[in-house]
Amino acid sequence: MWKALLYKEWIKTRWYLLLALLVTLGFAGYALLKLHRAVALMGAGHIWEVMVTRQAVFIDQMQYVPLLAGLALAAVQYLPEMHRKCLKLTLHLPVPALATLGVMLAFGVAVLAVLFGLGIALLAAGARPVLAPELVGNILHAALPWYLAGVAGYLLGAWTILEPTWKRRILCLLMSVLLLRLFFLAPVPRAYGGFLAVLALLSLCAASLSWLSVVRFMAGRQD
Amino acid sequence: MEPVIECRHLTHCYGRRKIYEDLSFDVPRGRILGLLGKNGTGKTTTINILSGYLEPRSGECLIFGENIRTLTPQTRRRIALLIEGHVQYQFMTIEQIERFYAAFYPAWNRDAYYGLMEKLQVAPGQRISRMSCGQRSQVALGLILAQNADLLVLDDFSMGLDPGYRRLFVEYLREFAKAEGKTVFLTSHIIQDMERLIDDCIIMDYGRILVQMPVGDLLRTFRRYSFRCPDDARLPSGEGLYHPAVVRGRGELCSFASPEEVRFRLEEAGIPCEGFTAETLNLEDAFIGLTGKY
Repeated sequence: MWKALLYKEWIKTRWYLLLALLVTLGFAGYALLKLHRAVALMGAGHIWEVMVTRQAVFIDQMQYVPLLAGLALAAVQYLPEMHRKCLKLTLHLPVPALATLGVMLAFGVAVLAVLFGLGIALLAAGARPVLAPELVGNILHAALPWYLAGVAGYLLGAWTILEPTWKRRILCLLMSVLLLRLFFLAPVPRAYGGFLAVLALLSLCAASLSWLSVVRFMAGRQD
Repeated sequence: MEPVIECRHLTHCYGRRKIYEDLSFDVPRGRILGLLGKNGTGKTTTINILSGYLEPRSGECLIFGENIRTLTPQTRRRIALLIEGHVQYQFMTIEQIERFYAAFYPAWNRDAYYGLMEKLQVAPGQRISRMSCGQRSQVALGLILAQNADLLVLDDFSMGLDPGYRRLFVEYLREFAKAEGKTVFLTSHIIQDMERLIDDCIIMDYGRILVQMPVGDLLRTFRRYSFRCPDDARLPSGEGLYHPAVVRGRGELCSFASPEEVRFRLEEAGIPCEGFTAETLNLEDAFIGLTGKY
């Protein structure tokens, strides 16, 4: 049964996942290309100095890519469920509703983890030949909140889409925007420090919000 | 007979609009029960409450003895649900959707599904979103039958189906339900289909149940009475006389009462009753006789 639930999620998302993989890796590759070009033109010493003294990370252009990837995944996964209230079919399956939702969300978080893991791996592998390990660490630390924003965006997107009424959906949207703002406060290395762990926890807690929407859906709430 | 569905004292409102109050009914095991009513009388509301997607203001529904708000997965496995509009996962193909559902139902009847799909003239790899409305309906019905559930809850099952497939499905469903002892609770706007299919009916009017009885009894005992009378005659109403009206010198009303009793009540009210006739009705006419022509 769990395999069948995952199969459904896979059918919905497979083409999007391919596109998301190409786009996220494409942006990471483009950022690396720019970094390598800057090193070739200015010299590694100058770039290192800029990175240390001005806290530049050279990957700013991919700041919102993980967030958009997460939001789009939520749309691809949950809009078909809300189209003509197909979610009724899913919740009627002989599986506890909470477990069904858990599998759907876990699928989304897992594929984002793979997607973002590959992006981070590409950044690390691509930057290492021209940068000191500490500077590569700086880039990854700067990018980590953005990737977490992707996961949080996905979970908050699921919460908003699964909400059955428009009034409450707008409220969810506003709260999501405010929460996501936390992930983009300072685009500099190690700006979040220990707060990054709090952000990670906050992202995962956002998974429980979708259950509120499902409970409201099952109670037949409507505008 | 032991009830499969028990609804007790249901009351529901949408905002300030009351749909019904204190509605109670049972669906006995092994029976096919049709819920009939005009638009807006609460048929889909009842199905939504029964399928657990609407919390009534008050009252409760039990299916197989369990409250529908807290059904266990094992009990849900015994219930096949057709949602209004024959909703199904449109992003799947005929094959994918069969493979998906088969994993959840141990008694899954693959042959029943593909038997009906053969009549569709579509490729197994065709996506449901690219099918016509009628074809999509047939896929949804094929999945319902393949599930081999003990209780089938079908909301407006005939919507979008062509007459040939409707007849085929009605015959198939009746034979399947009777042979396997299944219980069916359904609604449809096409009452001729219901007449061929159902054992019992519930006829709803705004806010209440007008009758719940076997269709055979309804068709045998409910009659339309007509007679000549003056245009300005005031026909008696209420107390078992439904929708009395006079049109161009001809009085008409419907009732479960015997011809003698109706005639007596008319004469008591001073109606001459010349050319008094009584006729039994088909289900559609009986439905209109009970609920009126708006």
